[in-house]
Order: sequence, then structure tokens, then C-alpha cells
Amino acid sequence: MLRIEDLTVSYHRVPAIHHLSLSLTSGHCVGLFGPNGAGKSTLLKSVAGLLNPETGRILIEGITLDKAASLIAYLPQRESVDWDFPVTVRGLVEMGRYHQVGLIGSFSQRDQTAVEEALELFNLSPLARRQIKELSGGQQQRAFLARAWAQEADLYLLDEPFGGLDRTSAKALASALGTLRERGKLLLVSHHALAEAESLFDTAILLNGELVACGPTSEALSPQNLECAYGTAIYSGSHDHS
Amino acid sequence: MNWFSHFLSLLVEPFGYSFMQRALLSCALIGFTNGFLGTFIILRRQALLADALSHSLLPGLAVAAMIVGLSPGGLLLGGLIAALFVALGAQVMARNSRLKEETAVASLYIIAFALGIVLIRFAKVKVDLTHFLFGNILGVGDGDLWIAYAAAFLTLGTLVLFQRPLLLTLFDVAVAQASGVRVQWVETGLLALTVLGLVASLQAVGVLLSLGLLIIPAATAYLLTDSFNRMLWGGAFLGMICAVGGLFISFFANIPSGPCIVMLMAVFLGAAYLFSPRYGVLFKLIRGRHYHEESLERWEGHQGHDHQVPGNESKS
Repeated sequence: MLRIEDLTVSYHRVPAIHHLSLSLTSGHCVGLFGPNGAGKSTLLKSVAGLLNPETGRILIEGITLDKAASLIAYLPQRESVDWDFPVTVRGLVEMGRYHQVGLIGSFSQRDQTAVEEALELFNLSPLARRQIKELSGGQQQRAFLARAWAQEADLYLLDEPFGGLDRTSAKALASALGTLRERGKLLLVSHHALAEAESLFDTAILLNGELVACGPTSEALSPQNLECAYGTAIYSGSHDHS
Repeated sequence: MNWFSHFLSLLVEPFGYSFMQRALLSCALIGFTNGFLGTFIILRRQALLADALSHSLLPGLAVAAMIVGLSPGGLLLGGLIAALFVALGAQVMARNSRLKEETAVASLYIIAFALGIVLIRFAKVKVDLTHFLFGNILGVGDGDLWIAYAAAFLTLGTLVLFQRPLLLTLFDVAVAQASGVRVQWVETGLLALTVLGLVASLQAVGVLLSLGLLIIPAATAYLLTDSFNRMLWGGAFLGMICAVGGLFISFFANIPSGPCIVMLMAVFLGAAYLFSPRYGVLFKLIRGRHYHEESLERWEGHQGHDHQVPGNESKS
């Protein structure tokens, strides 16, 4: 599904990702871990086609990024969205269909169905007429997932989606991600807390500029690997800092 | 009955003069087009960039006046080139140096404005600065009308045709780019249309007023609706109504048309600011303050109102 070969991306000659290669298959929820500045956001943006790689290439289902754009859904970080934008939840989800509908074509029955289905899947139907600011943080995340679903994307890229969510919203988002995985989508999710890693993600990528590990969560986040990535053995099983 | 027919004949009186016919037509065209374009500029948060561009037309106008005099086509071309030079120059500067775009724009437009003032002294004909800023609606000629027609056709046509990629870009540039929209083209195109809108309204309403028509009607519509489409067309119709209405008022009250149009737009903006059912300052005080179910959703497993909040059983 997703294949990254020898990827290097640098900002002002400082490499954020250094000769990284990996490949992932559909139907997985993949957590992206690493210390600050490890290149998590850079990797997501590269796969989204927002950055020009210095070396290497990224293939989706064997085709290059510029031809696979409609298969990719990049979910924005919350701070980058203008929540005052004059759009309702339904309007937001309809944006996902623009690619299929084309420049001036009108929404067909199939497009309408796709929108309804997306709203239904993420429990947004009762909120469809709300302006997007009038949603809780978790509902806003789900609205963007619904848009990606309507787009019929196969690869979901989420940058720190759990940041700033309360417990209930985080739980709802986790179950939404689970639904997507069951439906055969590939999800690539950057995440900073290691504590709940195993319950959220079946696969993990551990990154620190270079690829440290990629595999089933418990194996990839082994104490040895974490020590390698973070430079110090900070992981002592799930525990509470307070 | 008598007073009514008198009132009616008073109302159609302006249509008897050919200069007034041209003025009304060009006001309607420019008001509608700029009002439509305004939604995109506001949502892109480029109101101040448009302001800067309006000032940067001046050297182009001065050079045109030096070479071909005050012909509408020459002024259009001169203004267009000067503003695009500033807009694109600022983008290039921002990309290739550590200067941020707004710094580059501010520097370039004020340099262009100063250059314009210098150059205008060498023009063959006397160019009146107030004319440039507020226009001369009664002096609208056939050439100006043709330019207004062409600008309206080009602007509305492009915006309607590319409405979807534009909407995606306005909403979130990164997401739009990831989904395959050529963001760079969309942004440059929007900039070019803004400049065209400013220049096309030069003779009729001047650059300051043209800027007002770009910003105020769309801002008013923004306060009234959560629908992109309604904001788009609402801004356009409001712009047209204000431009034509303002011209009528100026005809009867014998005050300059430009300020009349702006003040009429100000009335609508003020009314929306205070009385908009959704976002008006006054209605915010009266409306219910929160969505009830939002708090209920926190109690997992409880859907709708038949829930039992711990410690609250007796009330529900």
C-alpha cells in the first residue's frame, strides 16, 4: 500500500528524515513515535506530498504521489484550521467529494449517498447543520475523518490528533480509527504519549531522524529500541507521571 | 395618487441622462463583481494586501498617462502591470530572503506609491489624485463600460468555474495541496483577479472605494451566514444594491457619489454587526448560551435525554 524508499527530507540542509525506507500494508493503524524533532510531522507531510524529498521516493499502491493524491487524506492540525470559516459539517464532508464531482458537475445520487454514509459512520448526522466551530474537539476530528471517508481515501495521515482531546473525545476518536482500520484503510498517526500505544495502534514506527524500528507495537517499542530513539531508557512500562 | 406619480417621476429622472445611465450600469457591474470577489479575499485574509495593491497601481497609471494619456485601456494595462509587479515581487522576495511576505508587500507598495507620485509630475496631462482615489463616476465613458463588462465577465466566470478548488484552498492550503489542488495557481489567479477588480473600478469609483466594495459587502454577508454560497452571492447583491443606491442618494442629495456608497455600505455592516441573528452583538446577549447535549455526551453510553447523571437522578 505505502512504500517509502530511501527518503531524505531536509530543511536548510539539516536533514529531518535521513535515508528512511519502510513499507506498510492496508488495514493497519500505525502509530508514529519519536522524540520532538524526530521527523514525525515531516514524514507525514512528505507522504501527503507537501514537501519535496531530497532523495528517494514514495509510492502509493505502486504509483507516485502526484497521481495518487485522491487516495490520500491529510488531516490538518487543529491550529491550522480557520474554525470561523462559513461551512457546516455537511459542507465540510461534501468537500471530500469535490475530486469525484469535478469542477462544475453537480452532486449525483452516489455523491449524496457517500456524504450521508460518512456522516452516519462517524455519528455526525445530528450535527450536520452545525457550523464547524460549534463542535467539541473530538467531533471536529471526526468531521475531518468523515470528509476523508467521503473522499474514498485509502491512506489517512493524522498529525497528533489526540493532542488536547479530553478522555471521552479521545475514546470516540480511537474507536473511529478502529472502524477505519476494520474497513481496510491504512492509518498513519503521529502520537507523543507512549503509555497507551499498544491499545491504540497495532503497528508502530519509531523514528529519530532515522528509522529505529517498524513492526508490531510491542516489538517496535521495546525498551532497547526506545533507548536507541530517545537516547535514554525512559520507558518503564505504562505508568502515571502524576 | 398625485404625490406617488410625482415620486415615481423623480425616481426615474436620473435615467433620463445618458451619463447617469452609464454611471448606474457601471456601479451595478462593479458593485456586483467586487462584492462577489470580496468573499474570497476576506476568507483568504487578504483585505490588507488588497489595500496595499490599490496603492501600488499609481506608478503604472502615471507611466500610462505619460505614454498614452488618459485612455481607459492604457490606464488598465499600466495599473495591472504595476500591481502585479508589486504582488509577485513581494512573493519572490519572501521566498528568497528571510523577509516575511507582509513586510515585503508593505515595503514594495509604499515604494511604488512614492514612485507614482514622482512619475505623475511628468505626465502629459494633469492627473488628479482625488480622481484616482475616489473616481469620477459621472465621467464614465463607453471605453470604461466595456472594461467593466470584460472584468465582470472574466472575474465571475473564473471564480464560478474554479469555485471548488478555490474553496478547498481557502479553507486549508495544506489539505488542498495534499488532495491534488494546484494551490500556487489558485493563489496567483486570485491575486490577479483582485488587481483586475481594482483597476476596472478605477474610473467609476476610484481605488479606495473599489477596496470598500471588495471588503464591506462580503464582510456584512460573513456576519449573516454560515453558508459559503450565501456569503458569495449575498456579498455580490449587497455590493450592487449599495453601489446603485449610493449613486441615487448622491444624485438627489447632491453629495459626492463615492462617500455616499461607502456610507450606505457602512449602514448595512453596522446593522449586521448589531442585529445578525447568528453573530450579531445584540442577539448574542439574548440567545441560549450553549448546546445542552454537549455536556450530556460526556457521560458515556448516554444518548439523548434519557440518561442518568450520577448524583442527579431525581432531576432527570
